[in-house]
Amino acid sequence: MRSYLHIKGKGLWKFCAFITLAIVLACCGEIITGVDQPATATVGSVVPITVHINIPTLGNGGPDYLIFGFLVPKGWKGAQNTTITYTSPLGNGTMNLVPDGTVAKNGGGLTWPAYMKKTFQNGGNLIDDVEWVAYQSDKAYPHSNGDALSGDLHIKIKVGADGNNTLVKLGYVITDTGNGFTSDNNGTYYSELITPCFELTGGTGDLVDFCNPQLTTINPPKSLDNDFITLTFDGTVTDTKLNNATETYLCATAYTSDGKTISVCEQTDKTRMTQTGPNSRKYQITLWPKSFFGTTGTQTISRMEYFITDKTGATKVGYGNTLAPFTYTFKCS
Amino acid sequence: MKKNYIIQQAGFLLMAVIVVLIASCKAERALPVNESVKDISGSWQVVRATRNGTDLTGIIDFSQFRINFKDGGYTMVNKLPFLVADDGKFSLDDPQYPFKITFIANGAAAVSTPFTYPIVNGKRQLSITFSPGCPNNSYLYVLQKVN
Repeated sequence: MRSYLHIKGKGLWKFCAFITLAIVLACCGEIITGVDQPATATVGSVVPITVHINIPTLGNGGPDYLIFGFLVPKGWKGAQNTTITYTSPLGNGTMNLVPDGTVAKNGGGLTWPAYMKKTFQNGGNLIDDVEWVAYQSDKAYPHSNGDALSGDLHIKIKVGADGNNTLVKLGYVITDTGNGFTSDNNGTYYSELITPCFELTGGTGDLVDFCNPQLTTINPPKSLDNDFITLTFDGTVTDTKLNNATETYLCATAYTSDGKTISVCEQTDKTRMTQTGPNSRKYQITLWPKSFFGTTGTQTISRMEYFITDKTGATKVGYGNTLAPFTYTFKCS
Repeated sequence: MKKNYIIQQAGFLLMAVIVVLIASCKAERALPVNESVKDISGSWQVVRATRNGTDLTGIIDFSQFRINFKDGGYTMVNKLPFLVADDGKFSLDDPQYPFKITFIANGAAAVSTPFTYPIVNGKRQLSITFSPGCPNNSYLYVLQKVN
């Protein structure tokens, strides 16, 4: 009987060549091998995070600077509230913010944060209110023949500058100034790692949940009554009483700075939500709150409570698929 | 002797060519071109609008909004979120090469914003970027003169 596992003579060098090629293809880019990060923290605390990296090399190149991207909610003001140092066999040092306007290597004219956003988007977060903060090592390192550099990035971030309880997926990405987010025959020159949902508690603001699909979302996530806001009801998140509704409407109450409440709960073109696609069960309405609620010149709307209703107005869906209203606070931070 | 004569003739010819070449040069006087003064007087409507890069043109009814510029003042009809909430005065930073427009709403402080003034499909457009609500929310209105 013939065995396919025998490797002899001519077959042996082919097998060895394959293994060698596989090693070559797998090497030569920066790799994030792990992240040590707590699962929870309280608003305002300083959270230590360690990012373990490894940089295998093939051939000689560089010297290049290490580029590091840190994905955090915009409200945390990551650039102001984070310090990063590194330890490595070639020495220790600091990671500094990439100066504004620095054009990324192979980024098509984009800055490093914009290049990261374009390449890695929101890192799986469902609300577009996170940002990539870009750092660069204070010293350059060479790509020497066959050397593998391993090291750690030590992050200290004061979390929750916006005071909001938060659920968010933090993200990490590395590359170098000589390659950017590219791959070639020698390997991939970047590495991305998105961590599971990190929970921030103890805050005074609304819960901002970047991780779990929400029945309703408002875009931009941070806005005032003088912005255009787009409210989306996503009927696919869970079964609701509006599953079979052909049309949905917004029923909302505004709370103004002078202590008044203004309700708009009619089922007309003014409040009708448009389905985003045939049978998508996602409905949207874009409105200018000042005009929608008809506030006077001096009134400002501080918050809003709302339901989604059917055409009769009798069937309502509220927060968490209950009869409690959804709430939204108009604020910028 | 004959050789010397030829050299002399060639020398004269060379001199003549140089003289002709020099004489043919004439200093051109560059005429100053007067850039026209940019006049934005008239009634303008929104033909395109974005919020943080997302197109709002088909989502919001911009057709009724008008901003009228006249004699250093402006008025708005069927208001929408804009750089200013009330009518008032406006000015351009440079009448010939304007890059910035300043609005002074009645009883309010002056607010300025960069703007561009391109000609698109033969029509003058005004592109204004501003943040009427949160500073992080950026809007672009492209205005075109109403015929």
